[in-house]
Amino acid sequence: MNDMRLTERVVTETAKMTARGVQVHYGTNHALKDVDVDILDKTVTAFIGPSGCGKSTFLRCLNRMNDTVASARVTGRIEMDGQDIYDPRVDPVQLRAKVGMVFQKPNPFPKSIYENVAYGPKIHGLARSKADLDEIVETSLRKAALWNEVKDRLTAPGTGLSGGQQQRLCIARAVATSPEVLLMDEPCSALDPIATAQVEELIDELRAQFSVVIVTHSMQQAARVSQRTAFFHLGSLVEYGETGHIFTNPTDPRTEAYITGRIG
Amino acid sequence: MTAPSLAAPAPAKGASLIAPDARTRRRNASERRFRLLGLSAVGLGLLALVVLLTSVLGNGLSAFRQTWITVPVTLDAALLDKEGNRNPEEMRQVTTLGYGKLLEAALIAALAEKGIATDALSEKEVTGLLSKEAAADLRTAVLADPSLVGQTLTFRALATSRIDGYFKGRVTRESAARDANVTPAQLDLADRMAAAGLIGTQGNAGFLTRPDASELRPEAAGLGVAILGSAYMMVVVLVLSLPIGVAASIYLEELAPRNRWTDLIEINIANLAAVPSIVYGILALALFINILGLPQSAPLVGGLVLTLMTLPTIIIATRASLKAVPPSIRDAALGVGASKMQAIFHHVLPLAMPGILTGTILGLARALGESAPLLLIGMVAFVRDFPGAPPQGLLDPAAALPVQVYSWTQRADPAFVERASGAIIVLLAFLLAMNALAIILRRRFERRW
Repeated sequence: MNDMRLTERVVTETAKMTARGVQVHYGTNHALKDVDVDILDKTVTAFIGPSGCGKSTFLRCLNRMNDTVASARVTGRIEMDGQDIYDPRVDPVQLRAKVGMVFQKPNPFPKSIYENVAYGPKIHGLARSKADLDEIVETSLRKAALWNEVKDRLTAPGTGLSGGQQQRLCIARAVATSPEVLLMDEPCSALDPIATAQVEELIDELRAQFSVVIVTHSMQQAARVSQRTAFFHLGSLVEYGETGHIFTNPTDPRTEAYITGRIG
Repeated sequence: MTAPSLAAPAPAKGASLIAPDARTRRRNASERRFRLLGLSAVGLGLLALVVLLTSVLGNGLSAFRQTWITVPVTLDAALLDKEGNRNPEEMRQVTTLGYGKLLEAALIAALAEKGIATDALSEKEVTGLLSKEAAADLRTAVLADPSLVGQTLTFRALATSRIDGYFKGRVTRESAARDANVTPAQLDLADRMAAAGLIGTQGNAGFLTRPDASELRPEAAGLGVAILGSAYMMVVVLVLSLPIGVAASIYLEELAPRNRWTDLIEINIANLAAVPSIVYGILALALFINILGLPQSAPLVGGLVLTLMTLPTIIIATRASLKAVPPSIRDAALGVGASKMQAIFHHVLPLAMPGILTGTILGLARALGESAPLLLIGMVAFVRDFPGAPPQGLLDPAAALPVQVYSWTQRADPAFVERASGAIIVLLAFLLAMNALAIILRRRFERRW
């Protein structure tokens, strides 16, 4: 396995999103404490850490999905291209078109494969004609490495696909709105190793077009797909840096303990 | 080795697998007992259903058949249309009494022609076989088609309820001897007429199309006004309660903040669903009739009160089916940048639709069978005129099916027991049809995936 191909990490240094002093409270529970992270452009950033450490919470701050949780309160500042995404003038709907999301469990709409992918472009008015829409659907499915498997049955229900195909359909659905950042919340945790490998390969290809942020439980996965890794523990960001650096030469003893399997 | 239970020693090592030990036998016995209990509970329920259906069908099916006296009636132009111009407006001056005389003469002539002896009976007894309603039916038929005047019409006249009861087995010679309304001699005459083919039992579509009739003419009583009134009310209930109920549920379930107020509303909706229906009747009487001044006995008012009663049911069913839609679908929609409304209307609502429709139709079915609140708003009144076409007709007086059952069971003539049971059959048929519709709709919407 190419677990630790730590060389050939070409990393751009322009920050796409910056988070400063982000705190999240769920009611009285202080879930995220003072997190500072820069998400770099055209880079895969992995968030690792034990369960309940706040990595998914932070991910959901980046496209304001935490807004849907009534008890959640987010403070601090998160900027995208220099604009505060928590500014009261920002419509989360527009933000989410730019910051797509793939969830832990594949959750295709109970509609046709075509409808699943076409839904985002439709509601955002990205296609002017049926032909436009067809093209967006095809390129999105191609980007998600699903086109060849489903091109003959675009009208079949998306829920009838296998687990790995469903997850790639969800990726195609997220890609279809041409996002600038793609958030993935443990996208492979419900998949078998083969489907996982396909999705990982896909993530690497998607990096050419936009930033990818992936939350994962698997340190091997983080090492395989990411250029940057952030390690969260008990709601705090412990260490953030180049993936190679984090895995071979961590500065914090907690990071070392986690990646060597002593905590978590 | 220690025994796991004090009651039975653990099976010794090397005990046979073939012969079950005491513990296993006891467990199996208790399972068998529970199965038997469940089975007998189901059996009891089925038995009650069978008893109910036999009683209702046994009493009520005969309401769909009626005894008719078939005689040729010569419609004398000199009597019915004095001007001779066949103008229905002028022909209206001839009252039911005039037609009655014509019909009675026709009956006596027909008996004489067939050679049926009527010596033992007075003329009044002979013509007493005819229902008072028969002359009115003849008049209606002639006024509807004036060209009949001058011709000889083979007319099917209703027999009185006692004669009808005799052919259906309700009236016997013993009971007739004690009855002021019928004599055994009349029954003998009916027998002779039946042999000559002048009288017989045939299907009675009028039971579904005629309006109610007075206490003295059960043979003419029908469910027409009640069916129409119930249909009007169901339309009002559907049109009002489905949109209001679904909108309220969506707001409460998806949009409203969770706080003390929404909790209070939620509890009160649950409470409203349990409020006895007659209380809604009092509310409707006070609000719609006394304060708003809407007419009594109107299907609109009935529909409004049934809407109030059905709303909590629909809201509870709709909220339950909205809650049952997996949150991952909402996440998925919001994740691609759908607004909350888009997520609800494009994804959540279609998935909740089968549940919403089922809840709505079950709510409607309950409203259809409800009589108590309708009694209070005056729908128990005796209504012989059909309500007009909607929307104006919604304010005309009408009856309702369950209330018609109630008022028929109040009447003294045993013929109305048959009518009431027949009305129950019609009501049950409507309820079954609605429940079947609920199942079909649910299947169809679910089959989308």
